[in-house]
Amino acid sequence: MIDYAIKKSAQLFITVFGVVTLVFFTLRLIPGDAASAMAGDTISGEALDLMREQMGLNEPLMSQYFGYLRDLVMLDLGQTITTRLPIAEMIGNAIPVTLSIALLTILLTVVISIPLGTVAAYMAHKGRTRLDNLLTGFAMLVDLMPSFWTALVFLLLFSLTLGWFPASGMVTLDDPAMFLSRIALPVLVLSVTQIATMARITRTSVLEILSEDYVRTARAMGWSEFRVLFRHALKNAALPIATVIGLSFGNLLNGTVIVEFIFTIPGIGNLLINGINSRDYQLVQTLIVFYALLFVSINFITDLVYRALDPRVSF
Amino acid sequence: MTYQSDLAPTLLEVRGLRTEFDTRAGTVTAVDGVSFTIEKGERVAIVGESGSGKSAMAMSLLRLLAHPGRVAGGQVLLDGRDLASLSERALNAIRGREVGTVFQDPMSSLDPVMKVSRQMVEPIMRNLGLSREAARAEAIRWLDKVGIPDPEGRIDAYPFEMSGGMRQRVMIAMALSCRPRLVIADEPTTALDVTIQAQIVEMLKDLTAEAGAAMMFITHDLGLVARFAHKVAVMYAGRIVEFGPVDAIFAAPQHPYTQSLLRTIPSVDATKDTRLPQIPGIPPDMRHKPEGCAFRARCAVATARCALEAPELTARAGDLAAACWVEGGLRAAPQALEPRRRVAAPLDDTRVTVEINNLVKHFEGRGFLARNRRAVRAVNGVSLRVRKGETLGIVGESGCGKSTVARLLLGLDQPTSGEIFIDGLAQMVFQDPFSSFNPKMTIARIIEEPLAVQNWGDRASRAARIEQLITQVGLEPAHLVRYPSQLSGGQRQRVAIARALALNPSVVVADEPTSALDVSVRAQIINLLADLKADLGISFVFISHDLLTVRYISDRIAVMYLGEVVEYGPAEDVFDRPMHPYTRALIDAVPIPDPRLEAARTNAPLRGDLPSPLDLPVGCAFASRCPMATAMCRTDKPRLKKYRQSQEAACHYAK
Repeated sequence: MIDYAIKKSAQLFITVFGVVTLVFFTLRLIPGDAASAMAGDTISGEALDLMREQMGLNEPLMSQYFGYLRDLVMLDLGQTITTRLPIAEMIGNAIPVTLSIALLTILLTVVISIPLGTVAAYMAHKGRTRLDNLLTGFAMLVDLMPSFWTALVFLLLFSLTLGWFPASGMVTLDDPAMFLSRIALPVLVLSVTQIATMARITRTSVLEILSEDYVRTARAMGWSEFRVLFRHALKNAALPIATVIGLSFGNLLNGTVIVEFIFTIPGIGNLLINGINSRDYQLVQTLIVFYALLFVSINFITDLVYRALDPRVSF
Repeated sequence: MTYQSDLAPTLLEVRGLRTEFDTRAGTVTAVDGVSFTIEKGERVAIVGESGSGKSAMAMSLLRLLAHPGRVAGGQVLLDGRDLASLSERALNAIRGREVGTVFQDPMSSLDPVMKVSRQMVEPIMRNLGLSREAARAEAIRWLDKVGIPDPEGRIDAYPFEMSGGMRQRVMIAMALSCRPRLVIADEPTTALDVTIQAQIVEMLKDLTAEAGAAMMFITHDLGLVARFAHKVAVMYAGRIVEFGPVDAIFAAPQHPYTQSLLRTIPSVDATKDTRLPQIPGIPPDMRHKPEGCAFRARCAVATARCALEAPELTARAGDLAAACWVEGGLRAAPQALEPRRRVAAPLDDTRVTVEINNLVKHFEGRGFLARNRRAVRAVNGVSLRVRKGETLGIVGESGCGKSTVARLLLGLDQPTSGEIFIDGLAQMVFQDPFSSFNPKMTIARIIEEPLAVQNWGDRASRAARIEQLITQVGLEPAHLVRYPSQLSGGQRQRVAIARALALNPSVVVADEPTSALDVSVRAQIINLLADLKADLGISFVFISHDLLTVRYISDRIAVMYLGEVVEYGPAEDVFDRPMHPYTRALIDAVPIPDPRLEAARTNAPLRGDLPSPLDLPVGCAFASRCPMATAMCRTDKPRLKKYRQSQEAACHYAK
């Protein structure tokens, strides 16, 4: 346990530090900077220089880097370079929105795909493959549809044509009904892909476990098919499934950036896109570090869940 | 032995059972009209090779077959109720309650993420209608009965925290705890070591007798049958070919298959110049089942009629029933004696091919903390010599370090300390040739591989060498263009031997070379190895847990226990007059395929499991299981010493 915790935190630290450094320098490799992005074509060279001076962009690169590291350690996220808004507050407002989308998507995915995959596996095990083939077909179809495309189609169909969901409106937790109806379509778009993947993985894992010897033992003890399937098979299949849920979180974060942009939802993803468009180094690098931390923590939690589920893995 | 007690003694009656597998290549009939009865409290052994349909038959009784297998016909009458026509729901009331099942592989037959308590308690609650507390007490009582030390504590363990032998005890406790009237045991000891096997078999026998339960015991081990069964059913190609009381089957078998099977096992007093009688050919491919009698292609007395009609079971002398057209089976034909083997001249003690001095191999654990870094002490100071043209047999239970010694000999692992001298080249034959071959290579390329690696000869001389090798191991040059998947297990093992011989090695190390093979094919490979040794004069190191085979094939035997050699000497001496109590226990544990000899043996099986190679005892490693251990054994380690002419043992009380 101690061994494990030491090893794991060291890994976490190195990963996050690497991300911070990489992001800092690659951002500065992109042509143009915050000042020129803000100024556009209208400002003279001298005025631009003055803006750079004020934004701290004229300092040597390494001193900018170490200054940034120091601020991070002090948990001082600073202000956006362009609009001088406190970054901590901006992220704080955006987090609940993005996390709601992500967690609802996972919930919807788990509730639909695990029973679906389990039943498909059971039927396939008995040699009845119709549901199984349907599931595979659906998964292949979904794999061919990029999420920005699905998002646009859903927007067009459910919002603009059918009018089931509002295409605009305040997204705030103070108005839960509005909040839910605004994030419903993003959640649906993301869930479609996730469900296809998860159902297929559940199906494969459960199918494999159904031919294990201990499943036969459970049958030989006289347990009903239902209990054999959900107690023994699914409990063992939960191990690979938990791992995949954890890993798919990364994809999900990716997806939130796209859907937030298309559905104009003020989440972390939209913040990031605005930051990139305005070359706001401070905002972008802070957001990416935030994503990295989130991603690394999810992996860590997945690992812990796996260890909790499987008594054979010790710390 | 009295086991009939009731007025209506028949417990199970199977009539015309047929099991089919629907495969892409068509329907395979795995069980083809099997009928037999089991009486109350009776132990019936079902004997057969892989593919004979014995497991499919057993699983069909409770419809535990996985797709695409299905029961296609027949009746399974348990006390007159036909299980084959019951609904799944009604059958679930029989499974576990009326009929308990013990499976082959204890490592995979228990749910790995559930505690033993959960797996045991809930079926007891359901089947016996007990409260959770009472069911738990009952489960603990059964764990105690099957010999689990500290059952109150161990019941909350996970299966992975137990050894294979312990898990099989748990399986048996599970199967018996709902007080079934019939126990189906499908190769329950095949995956276990011989001393553990002896414990488990004794226990199964005692506990079912005590509970008055009948047992159906599926096995390929004829020795176990002799130790265990009241009646025997011999299966071949999906049918029962012979059925009857165990004494009659062993004393006067009627079917040619049973007769040949019994002859292929090396007997306790076989001499090295007699070849093992072997059954030619391989069992039929069930996908293309031959017309008529399935055994006729391998049968010495087959007649024209055998090709036309499959014989039914008919009554014979001694309460036996056999399915053969030829009365008396092989006894009908004059017995063709196997030619005697040329035995090498008396051992030439001066030329040593392999010398191992004080070999030590420890596998270091990994981790930041010291307690996680304890070493597994696999080999602890082994010294051995193999003389030119000699076969050294190494025996011992799994975990005794015998396979590690083999790997060290071949340089696959580096020893922690100690020396290995080999005069010439060492080559290896593995247990499972299929997984040691590249499936995409032809047999010719597989045999050529070592030649190619060593840049041996040119293309033409290599081709000639490959052809010579393939005929030397008893195959045809036509086999060279095939792929491993197109050969049978025995043929693949022949190819493995040919490959090992390609570079003219001075010693061939064979690690369990026959244990993955069917009984009827095993004798062919043993004969081949013994012939090669006599003809080529190379040395062999033969590693096996099959003591009768080791005795037959080896000149000298080394018995290993926990990484040490505890006894060493000429094969016959070690076997007939063992000096170390462990050797004696091993030999006692080996079932002898003769029910009269078995009945006369009064052996108490060795107690307990191997100690962990992480914490080896200070004194004699065997002291924890030794019936004659004293205080001295627990503190002083006995050294390997010569007690008799050329026989050595590591025991304070060896004489």
